[in-house]
Amino acid sequence: MTDDARADFGCFPRMVHGGISRRRLLGASAAVGASGLFLPAAARAASKPPAHPTGHMTIGFSQEPTVFNPLMPHIEVDQGVHWNLFSPLWLANEKGELVPQLAAEVPTIANGGISKDGLSWRVKLRPDVKWHDGQPFSAKDVKFSFDLLNNPKFRAWSRGGYELMRNIKVESPTEITWTMAKPYAPMISILCWTFMVPEHILGKAADPNTSSFNQAPVGTGAFMWKQRVPGDHITLEANPHYFGTGPYLQEIVFKYIPDLTVMFTQFQTGAIDYIGLQGITADHYAQAKKLKYRTVVVGPAPFVESIMMNLSKPQFADQAVREALYYGMDNKTIVEQIYYGLPKLTSSYLPTQSWAYNPHVAPHVYDPAKAKSILDAAGWKPGSGGIREKNGVRLSFQNSTTAGNHVREQAQQLLQQNWQDIGVDMKIKNMPPAVIWGDYFNMSHYDTVMVGEDFMTGPDPDVSQFFLSAAIPAKGGAGQNTMEYSNAEVDKLLQEGASTFDHATRQKDYWKAAEIIRHDLPLLPIFQYATIEGTKKNLMGYEPSVYVSTNTWNVNTWYWAT
Amino acid sequence: MTRFLLRRLAQSLVLLWLVSVIGFAVLHLAPGGPLAEFTLIPGMTTAQLKLIAHQMGLDRPLPVQYWEWFRRMLAGNWGRSYRDSQPVLYVIAAHLWPTLELMVSSTVIAILLGTWVGVLGAIRRYSVFDYLATVGAMIALSIPTFWFGLVVIYIFSVKLAWLPAGNLYTIGNGSFLDYAVHLISPSIVLALVTIAIWSRYLRASMLEVVNQDYIRTARAKGVPEQTILFRHTIRNALLPMITIAGLQLPTLLSGALVTETVFTWPGMGRLFLDSIGYRDYPVVMGILMFSAVLVLLGNLAADLLYAAADPRIRLD
Amino acid sequence: MAVATETPPRVSPARRARSRALARFVRHRLALFGLGAIIVLVLLCAVGPYIWPYNDLRIDIRHRFAEPFMSAHILGADALGRDLFARLMIAGRVSLTVGFAAMAISTVIGTFVGTIAGYFGGAIGSMLMRFVDAVLCFPSIFLLLALAAFVQPNLFTITLVIAATAWMEVARVVEAQIRSLRERDFALAAKVLGASDAHIMFHELLPNAVAPIVVASTLNVARAILLEAYVSFLGYGIQPPTPSWGNMLNNAQEYLATAPWLALLPGLFIILAVTGFNFVGDGLRDALDPRLDIT
Repeated sequence: MTDDARADFGCFPRMVHGGISRRRLLGASAAVGASGLFLPAAARAASKPPAHPTGHMTIGFSQEPTVFNPLMPHIEVDQGVHWNLFSPLWLANEKGELVPQLAAEVPTIANGGISKDGLSWRVKLRPDVKWHDGQPFSAKDVKFSFDLLNNPKFRAWSRGGYELMRNIKVESPTEITWTMAKPYAPMISILCWTFMVPEHILGKAADPNTSSFNQAPVGTGAFMWKQRVPGDHITLEANPHYFGTGPYLQEIVFKYIPDLTVMFTQFQTGAIDYIGLQGITADHYAQAKKLKYRTVVVGPAPFVESIMMNLSKPQFADQAVREALYYGMDNKTIVEQIYYGLPKLTSSYLPTQSWAYNPHVAPHVYDPAKAKSILDAAGWKPGSGGIREKNGVRLSFQNSTTAGNHVREQAQQLLQQNWQDIGVDMKIKNMPPAVIWGDYFNMSHYDTVMVGEDFMTGPDPDVSQFFLSAAIPAKGGAGQNTMEYSNAEVDKLLQEGASTFDHATRQKDYWKAAEIIRHDLPLLPIFQYATIEGTKKNLMGYEPSVYVSTNTWNVNTWYWAT
Repeated sequence: MTRFLLRRLAQSLVLLWLVSVIGFAVLHLAPGGPLAEFTLIPGMTTAQLKLIAHQMGLDRPLPVQYWEWFRRMLAGNWGRSYRDSQPVLYVIAAHLWPTLELMVSSTVIAILLGTWVGVLGAIRRYSVFDYLATVGAMIALSIPTFWFGLVVIYIFSVKLAWLPAGNLYTIGNGSFLDYAVHLISPSIVLALVTIAIWSRYLRASMLEVVNQDYIRTARAKGVPEQTILFRHTIRNALLPMITIAGLQLPTLLSGALVTETVFTWPGMGRLFLDSIGYRDYPVVMGILMFSAVLVLLGNLAADLLYAAADPRIRLD
Repeated sequence: MAVATETPPRVSPARRARSRALARFVRHRLALFGLGAIIVLVLLCAVGPYIWPYNDLRIDIRHRFAEPFMSAHILGADALGRDLFARLMIAGRVSLTVGFAAMAISTVIGTFVGTIAGYFGGAIGSMLMRFVDAVLCFPSIFLLLALAAFVQPNLFTITLVIAATAWMEVARVVEAQIRSLRERDFALAAKVLGASDAHIMFHELLPNAVAPIVVASTLNVARAILLEAYVSFLGYGIQPPTPSWGNMLNNAQEYLATAPWLALLPGLFIILAVTGFNFVGDGLRDALDPRLDIT
């Protein structure tokens, strides 16, 4: 009964430059519509944060946070806790603006923080930050954090970007500099979710992988570690010396509720004040909207649901087959009926909010007649049982996803019928997460998978790890190009895009790459996910953001309206 | 008796060892693995995955890994959880109390109600009560616990707001009453299936005993029905129940997989499910060994009790 | 059940006993009702899909969540607009097969092991029962995971896997009974009279242990039907779009408040099958009860 683990939503925050996001619009309208009806006038009038941290708030998560060293391999529920215990140098707020946290300002080429060639970085830090144990925070901690990520003995959660850092130097307690081995534009975004750890504690640990710090973390965030009851909940309490805004809550609790249906009932009964990751299922949205004294917010997530194909299998080698399959999919029905119209149809792998999203990419069209004629023209003729075949290859394959996700299984079955109508046989073979997302996926043993994937590099629209031909793990590459997609022009565009800081050039490269990938169709995009979350009506400050992986990034500003 | 116990003990140790070998092999050879958790981290590379596997010791030959685990287990070091890197024994201990609380309360309910329903069903065979009890038991057995738990939550927690929708206690309120209120729905839901099982076995056993010669003899001698019922029938009918109880005993500590999930109960059953789901090998092996000991103890206790209660049976 | 009826009578008293048992079974109204229910269910699932105009797989999204008795979909339609009645009948094929076959296999194996171990005792009994203990040491879900990992999932293997997790309880219950029964006067008398071990075990002792076997079998039918859905849920069983009563129930969880019939109907079918089997079992037990001959 283990839930759909991280697999589907297994990714990280995003950053978008400018423009009001769709999530913001939807979120605002939902909140206004509901608050006008139910929120007592007094609550709205008095919605000012309290002078001292007061009250207690319970967050429901459908996965259990277990990793509290933010630099070790973790998933987004863990990050949901990290946001409150630790601080990054800067973060992207809900509008996508970079806001300094531990840094005094965000380095740019304009302010001289980053050199023109993108190689030399200089970051100035706030002087007034203290760790939860009272020790001062300084540039030494930043250097220690970066060094730790590059320490070959340390089980680092990622080395992407950090491994390019050279000559990390503590210039003064409030200033740190380093150089990059090559210009790497996504670095500034990667640092949005790199949390700093204390040198004075972890530096003394014999083995940072097993340090007691990992279960009793000390950070610089708005809340301090209080208690963890394994398998049940984690309690944090207000940090009175927090350098930023707030906190206004005395205590916050992260409650692990392993089943989404159960989590929804606890939201209904009020046992949890905020229903977080992985939120309310589309099935329950209509019910949720009608709840009294609750605010339910629909917002877009960066994850794109698609059918990923293993191009090394003979069925998918032919471009015509992939094109026909896409024409044969009734994506509109999937979105409108099975997902109640909440997510947004897409034919791209990037969320529409991203500044690199190309709005001119050809939209998806459902046209089974055209699908059939493409297959006919390409020589795929109906054989036994009406299944098309060519040169001994039958258009028959498996489709897999995480077992037990009922809504997605409905979509799978609809696709099965869609494709059956054009003479293609798809068999469903779903597996538990620990099986499907292991070698089966990573080493390209699959035919096709249905997956909601975040293709970008953190908040940056760099999709190299999924589409670069050097990123095929089955061929020894570093990355997640398990589709085994390979296109020399895409390689060139993505590499150029990641190595320049020039916005216009990057956008041009990414738009072009999107067009080529739309043409090649290594994957068949269906929709961009929507998250459905909610809070009690008098809980103020909840601000869903498309730039983070869990919406507990700003709990320091949350409070109970009195 | 001492020789019997010694022999059983020796046999049990061999069994435990076999269980550990088979369990270890199966767990590691089954598809999937703990690395799947890391595969989808953005920027994760094959080289880094290899490094993690090496640090976790997963790249060594299986017999070596087993020997390492076995040696340490004997020394009392059961390894650390892959998920939260806590010692396995600590993780098990942390989940033991909620399970014990839930299982004891539900077992008490189940045995009391189950005995009543079973005995009454047998005495008043083919009465309205018996039909209702039979059909009720069949319904209890045919409905998945998860589903039944959701219905209970939906009615009593969401609609009527009488009972909490799961959880061990209200965080921040550790009063006895709070614990007790939270215990009601899960213990009843969990007890339901046990009541069904217990009452069906007991009813069948009662009906067997009623027809035995000694009961007929007693009745012919004019012994009062009440005396027959309590002194002879129920006592003898409970004998076979010892086996059933012995089979149920381990669950007192190994927990209930589904009930604990639906009622957000941080017990052993859910720990086992989560650990299997993540392929947290050290914890799964720890729970496996722990529950194996319980099973062996439960069955041994049942065999001893059975022999003690029924003089016809020899221990051999 | 299968074992209990499989008495190979060569002598005429046995045949008389059998016809008496049959007569007693027929007089047992509940048993007849149970048998009737099962026959109806089996016929419905076997023949029904050929007659019923709707296909169990055809998706018709416009009719999703059609309510029962409101349209041509007599029992309503599921979340994809597939006819519920058609799906229930096809699902019954899976669930009844798994339920009864797994029950039969586990009962036969469990009874056999339990009888041998209980009757002979000593080294043989000890070895058999320790083997039972060893298998019991593995939680069912672990056994399922293990077995499913090494066999190709299909209806046949799922049945075997489920049976493999269910026979130990039968074995322990039967062993305890037989161990007690073999010391009774009638068993000792048979031994003195020179009856063979096999005769004593299967003709003298086993009929006296039918009651708990019947109970265990009933429990195992229900357990197997539900476990099938659970195995599939773990990703090792019957895959969508093939329906089974268990997975229909599972998939209906989300719609408890909005479309309760999606869960109620498969639930009812399971209850009907299990209850029917229970009554048949009770009837069989009465029919085979050796002591009832005296009265």
